[in-house]
Amino acid sequence: MKVIVLVIAILLILALYAIMSRNRLVRANISVDEAFAQIDTQLKRRSDLIPNLVETVKGYAAHESSTFEAVIAARAKATTATTVADVAAADGQLTQALRGLLAVTENYPDLKASTNFLALQEELSSTENKVSFARQFYNDNVRTLNSAIKTFPSSLFVKSAGVTARPFYEVDDPQDRKAPQVKF
Amino acid sequence: MDFRKLQSANKLKSTELLFGMALLVGVVIWALMTYFGKTGVGVVPFAVGIALLSVWGSYWTSDKIVLTMTGAKIVTEADNKQLYDLVTEVCIAAGLPVPKIAIVEDNAPNAFATGRNPEHAVIAFTTGILRVMNREELQGVTAHEMAHVANRDTLVSAIAATTAGALALLSDFMLRMMIFGGGNRRDNNNNDQNPLALIASLVVLILAPLAALLLRLAISRKREALADVTAVAFTRNPTGLRRALEVLAADSTVVHQKSTAVAHIWIESPLDDSKTSKLFSTHPPLATRIATLRAMEGIS
Repeated sequence: MKVIVLVIAILLILALYAIMSRNRLVRANISVDEAFAQIDTQLKRRSDLIPNLVETVKGYAAHESSTFEAVIAARAKATTATTVADVAAADGQLTQALRGLLAVTENYPDLKASTNFLALQEELSSTENKVSFARQFYNDNVRTLNSAIKTFPSSLFVKSAGVTARPFYEVDDPQDRKAPQVKF
Repeated sequence: MDFRKLQSANKLKSTELLFGMALLVGVVIWALMTYFGKTGVGVVPFAVGIALLSVWGSYWTSDKIVLTMTGAKIVTEADNKQLYDLVTEVCIAAGLPVPKIAIVEDNAPNAFATGRNPEHAVIAFTTGILRVMNREELQGVTAHEMAHVANRDTLVSAIAATTAGALALLSDFMLRMMIFGGGNRRDNNNNDQNPLALIASLVVLILAPLAALLLRLAISRKREALADVTAVAFTRNPTGLRRALEVLAADSTVVHQKSTAVAHIWIESPLDDSKTSKLFSTHPPLATRIATLRAMEGIS
């Protein structure tokens, strides 16, 4: 009798443990989805700022058309991307193009003094921060999910929870990669 | 230094301290049983009940109470766009909902966060801190405060306060019973008791409130250290918070409200000064906190 109770108790504990491990995977998977949605929201915000920004800069620096075109083209690409890799690539290009645009504005003191531009600049730099924190949060969540998928005992429930390892959000930023130039 | 390792080390340490408090409760109950027999245990529910009542009401409504006590005014996105953006950025990094944001009219640079859960959180800044700190430093401060929210430090300190309060009440009850009415009971129950055990239990009852206070303060210090590390996990930028703490260290003005009731919630304690012994402070010394952040930056 005692043995049966003990066996049942152990089985119950094991079952509970299994359920918890499986739930951990499901939850981690949901967190990754939510984190990706946050990146999307912030990218959309940034994208909404661009027409206004381009118009404002155009008013002071109409002949810098190549810079505007780069920004507008990158924005168009960003709105159509869906997979993590595509979104990340388009995000990287738009970040680059915006950096170019802001570099151009350095040459126009009138523009830099305009209150409209200052407000836009604050909005844009805050949105850039939000985008990069959203990326970081997404990657942290992917890290948690992927390590739960690989480690025991949650690794046993990958199939039943219907989760797969997710890709990291990697922005290809030439500024990060640039090797220091050596001159002789 | 890796913030993930530091985070789990600090969490483990504060859990150990909470277990230490539970152990202390066990020891006090043992002392009660030794000294008064089974009847002594009867007062435990009363002490715990009173402590629960006094702490948990203020825990549950902490966001509202603290706003009233400190005179903080809630600000909206339209009132202070930059501050709202700054807090929102950190919340995205932490994966937390944006809390209520408040400003306290005070020249001393300081900040705090409270609330029973992330959905009822409030973060407050003094007008002084908004004036003396730049954006990067304020981001560090915000991350430290949001770290308290993420780590549920209002709950942790409520648990610590309840336990310490219950122990203080218990010890007080018992010492009164010994003086006024304990004689009879002792004759009935304790004739066969080991006198050494009686003396030990007396010492336990006298020292328990002090031990509980020290444990409570140690927990507070560990949670502060943890919040610094968690802040770095949010921003990945130890420099911002380190510079912010250096600004606080250089500043000699102190928040006017010296109410001990809310002292522990500020980022820099308004009560602790160099004369306060390390054992009795709610925060680790600023120099230690700065040194830890420097180690995370890789400079020593």
